[in-house]
Amino acid sequence: MNEKTGTKEIIGLLARLAVGGLFVYSGAIKALAPAEEFAYAIESYRVLNAQLSLYAAYVTPWVELWAGMLLAAGVFTRANALFIGAMLVFFELLLGQAWLRGLPITSCGCFGSSGSNSIAAEFAQNLVFLALTWAAWKFPSRWSADAVVEAK
Amino acid sequence: MIDQKRSRLAAIGAALVFASTIAVLLARQFNLGPERPAPDFRAFGPADAPVQIHEYTDFACPACRGAAGLVEEMLKVYGPGLRVHFKHYPLLNIHPWSLHAAAYADCAGAQGKFKEYAALLFEGQQHWAEAKEEPKQFAEYAGRLGLDLDAMRACANDPETLKTIKLEIAEADMKGVNATPTFFINGKRAVGSGQLLDQARKFDSVLRKASNK
Repeated sequence: MNEKTGTKEIIGLLARLAVGGLFVYSGAIKALAPAEEFAYAIESYRVLNAQLSLYAAYVTPWVELWAGMLLAAGVFTRANALFIGAMLVFFELLLGQAWLRGLPITSCGCFGSSGSNSIAAEFAQNLVFLALTWAAWKFPSRWSADAVVEAK
Repeated sequence: MIDQKRSRLAAIGAALVFASTIAVLLARQFNLGPERPAPDFRAFGPADAPVQIHEYTDFACPACRGAAGLVEEMLKVYGPGLRVHFKHYPLLNIHPWSLHAAAYADCAGAQGKFKEYAALLFEGQQHWAEAKEEPKQFAEYAGRLGLDLDAMRACANDPETLKTIKLEIAEADMKGVNATPTFFINGKRAVGSGQLLDQARKFDSVLRKASNK
């Protein structure tokens, strides 16, 4: 293994753990709180009505938890990175439209009822995580379930 | 060969999904989720008290009326060692006016009289709990305490007020609360006054130490 490949692999691993860990945390913290709480946050984006917001609040935390877990472990890494990237883009669109419309969003709902940053800060943070997701997709690492199964 | 590898990965993925789901469901069951504090006017005792009680109560429940006196007594006895977070858990299927009572109590709290209004609600419980129409006692109690009734009415019908209560109901449902009063003493569940006393005894030394400081 040359030095360049090793560095890329480490970047890929760290990016996977960062993005996967973030999704696991974000999903678990919301799955441990009442769905209604997250549903109120979703409603404040004024994209879905109350009923659909509640359905979304039931499903989203689990999807985040599972996708984060699979990415962190490196199971179907590239497909998972693509899926998480798509979710982040979707979150960016939600935040962006709220930002443009000047909606009074006090909690973005990103991490349950715990305090959230401003919409602009959350938007910027998501961009960073999008970049990390790209790194996880681009640089496969040998420290992943994919690589372990492939080697057998 | 490729199919075999994919199957292995799918099995690993399924195991991870299963394990994480079980872990979160168990954490819910053991009440490991974040504890939402009650609004300031419904929290009694110092914020840094070593023993924190979260109490889920229904104003129309007779057992809750009994427990309210006990909690009051405990606050007096243990003083700085104890903080009580009063949470609403109106049993909507059997007590038609509980949600309204909780909303009015919160609105009294917004005017600085939660405790007094709650005491009146418990005291007059048998007069309003089974009423056919909106009980006149809600207004009467506000009058007795010198509260602004128009503001109370507007506040009690405000979706934001109801939202706070409904979130507390959802939170209690998630913790498996299905009877009132239910208490969580530093996370340990107790249902009814008897269990509350039993659980509180386990924290007796901590409570006494803090109250003797």
